[in-house]
Amino acid sequence: MRCRDGAVETVEESRSTSVRLELLVDGRYSTHATTDLRDGPLDAFVGEAVALTRLLEVDPHRRPTPEALWRDRREIDLDLVDPRVDAISNEDRIAACRSIEEGARSGADVLGVTTWASDGRVTTARVSSDGFSGTRTCTSASLGTQVGVADEGGKRPEGYRFCSATHLADLMDAGEVGRVALARTLAKLGARKSASARATLVLAPEAGGGFLRRPLGALHASAIQQRSSFLADRMGEPVSSPLLRIVDEPHRPRSLASRLYDGDGMTTRERTIVDDGVLRSFYVDVYYGSKLGLEPTTTGSTNTVFQGGEGDLESLTREVADGFLVRGWLGGNANATTGDFSFGFHGHRITGGRIDAPVAEMNVTGNYREVLPRLVAVGADPDPWSTFRTPTLVFEGVDFSGA
Amino acid sequence: MRTTATLPLSPFEVDEALCRRVLDAALAGGAGHGDLYFQRVEQTSVVLEDGIVSRAATAVDRGVGIRAVNGDQTGFAYCEELEEAPMLAAARAASAIASGGARRAAPVGAPATGRGLYPIVRPWPDVELDSKLAVARAVEERLRASDPRVAKVRVAWMDTDELVALVDAAGRAISDHRPMAVVSATLTLVDANGRTESNSSSLAMRRGLDWFSAERLADFADDLVRRTQVLFDARRPPAGEMPVVLAAGASGILLHEAIGHGLEADHNRKGQSIYSDRVGTKVAGPDVTVVDSGLHPGERGALEFDDEGYPSERTVLIEDGVLRGYLHDTISARHYGVEPTGSGRRESFRHVPMPRMRCTYMENGPNDRDEIVASVKRGILAENFANGQVAIGAGDFTFFVKNGWLIEDGRLTAPIRDVNIIGNGPDALSRITMVANDFRLDTGGWTCGKEGQSVPVSQGLPTVLVSSLTVGGTHGA
Repeated sequence: MRCRDGAVETVEESRSTSVRLELLVDGRYSTHATTDLRDGPLDAFVGEAVALTRLLEVDPHRRPTPEALWRDRREIDLDLVDPRVDAISNEDRIAACRSIEEGARSGADVLGVTTWASDGRVTTARVSSDGFSGTRTCTSASLGTQVGVADEGGKRPEGYRFCSATHLADLMDAGEVGRVALARTLAKLGARKSASARATLVLAPEAGGGFLRRPLGALHASAIQQRSSFLADRMGEPVSSPLLRIVDEPHRPRSLASRLYDGDGMTTRERTIVDDGVLRSFYVDVYYGSKLGLEPTTTGSTNTVFQGGEGDLESLTREVADGFLVRGWLGGNANATTGDFSFGFHGHRITGGRIDAPVAEMNVTGNYREVLPRLVAVGADPDPWSTFRTPTLVFEGVDFSGA
Repeated sequence: MRTTATLPLSPFEVDEALCRRVLDAALAGGAGHGDLYFQRVEQTSVVLEDGIVSRAATAVDRGVGIRAVNGDQTGFAYCEELEEAPMLAAARAASAIASGGARRAAPVGAPATGRGLYPIVRPWPDVELDSKLAVARAVEERLRASDPRVAKVRVAWMDTDELVALVDAAGRAISDHRPMAVVSATLTLVDANGRTESNSSSLAMRRGLDWFSAERLADFADDLVRRTQVLFDARRPPAGEMPVVLAAGASGILLHEAIGHGLEADHNRKGQSIYSDRVGTKVAGPDVTVVDSGLHPGERGALEFDDEGYPSERTVLIEDGVLRGYLHDTISARHYGVEPTGSGRRESFRHVPMPRMRCTYMENGPNDRDEIVASVKRGILAENFANGQVAIGAGDFTFFVKNGWLIEDGRLTAPIRDVNIIGNGPDALSRITMVANDFRLDTGGWTCGKEGQSVPVSQGLPTVLVSSLTVGGTHGA
């Protein structure tokens, strides 16, 4: 359900079923997906898939997931299903959108408000010829909004708030979603670029993922084996200041990213990724693990949890004499091979421990190898609904470009 | 007799009578317009890594998107089973957008035919796997032999065969058979000191096997080699505002981000865009003419019909510096009382259409490239790009430069790398002070994302000077 300025804009409702087939034929590997599940076409699809696979080359590193890596799975209840989500009606969605919009218009002159309310249930099942079998069912409900206000120079800055959860009870209050988005939008009024500087970088919790997902991406065995990871030779070594402690928690109850088995069917378990700044684990899947001669760990991150922090955005900002608070990103990219990054952002200038004038149209640029060791503070204030659970993070000596 | 009308529907094993029953169900709530968008996509991909074909994948996707439109409001549902019962159920879900007296669909007219914008002889599903592997292998071998520092080569091939048929409640019928082929490659070099550099590139066309000639593939590989080798000498430019010269070709990303999205009419209809009230006003210098067109044969952004069944066209966005108009879908065209521009696109039958770009580019201007570079005292030349983004309302946009050059006293002095450039759309347009005569469309595999939907696009530019943008870089460098 999407509403705009009090009226329903789009209603969408659908169900979808597909099958994905992973084949290993005499050491040759391929995957095939279809949504045409009629008997005849499905038989033909499988026949063609096997025939195509025979045309490929033998890859000695392709093998089924070893039984030892999946046989020990216990069926822990991750509490990922809320029957109340299945009962949500269009009337409920419209009511939620109305409440969001009310919050988003509370006491301010707003140009326009778009609101979303969506929900669904996804079941995946994985079965393999060597006896593996598993299912995962997850409900999800999401609320979101975009608010626009008028600014000088014909600018119409927008602010957003989204949240999603497996259980309705864990969702933010709809009015609060609107109020937060409005506050974020009003905070952008009058934003302009500040002078280029080397200063302290404060990442708000909602902006941390955009920054730290990149270096964590370089921990995948595929990146390491393909020599496109700046962290490839750093196992057991410090990669950041000792304040960084990252744990992957696949069994976090009610979290959208929780799972009992991963993309290779391997049983998931809690895993320390970075401990007191020292790199402790790569994400090693079965295939690239074989190429690298590394024991498989897991195919990728689930719930990424930052441990050991203290304080929040407000208290940590008070310690910053001269810096920029990043609240959101605009484009930019990182080079996983070298660790170079450069991102556009918006946020605020910080002077003398105070959140000062809003800034926009600026870039932050550097290299993760140099910037991660300059992490000087970690908060304990992640967004409760997030799966990449960054708290406030503070880095010193970072390059900002503006006017 | 209208036997031709069944032609676009026959691959989906549905007939006109069934379509009208489903459309009637979609209009049962009183919606004024409705359409059925049938789509079948077949895809094959292979990956060559570490010298062998390490994986292959195929995918088949088919279904119908059912839409009921009532003014600015849309009811939508899709289904993957092209049988009467699930289609009617989906149509009833879509019909709920309106609450009034039922309307009826018109008889289906003769299907419109395209102009032949996709020059392809043999559809991709009919091309044997060996020929596709040969393309990937040609690129792989060329890259591997290019430099003693080669450590890794990865080449991926993907071809897509997309068949679309659309029938709407007014009786319009179209079909469009869209091919696409993409070669992408990543090259990683490691020097004697263990320093590692990698770069990627792609080549994408709505064309057939014959287009991927040995010469084209060699040029593609050689270009990637140069882009990667130069990174060993490249550095970060100084941080801050400076003149930016955009090289001909892929720099069209500037237009895509700085103005293209802002001229999609949905953002303007809703008053969200910084360009909302600026049609007819001067937004750039007299040498700036910007076009979005679906009519360039074989290009990735080429399109016979948009995904609402309207013929694609050449839409002038800016003419001699004056803002001329928007990119429309049917909803915004009706809102503004103008004809649709053939810009209503969707990612698949699972999505609702909205105004989107096709091939976005600037036409040639009076200057030449060398003259432009020579005019810059201290700035950069941006050549290759990874990605870009825009904030529609504030007008701020960015693009990420993979390769470029520092310009000092009118000469290219040192390679630069991996910097983000940020600016504001209207400001940047007004700062385009020189436009060269070397326009070309880029052949990279650009994909545009909007509200969760991805569609293939092209972009192009002649060499252009923007007198000031903010360049990410090193403070004090």
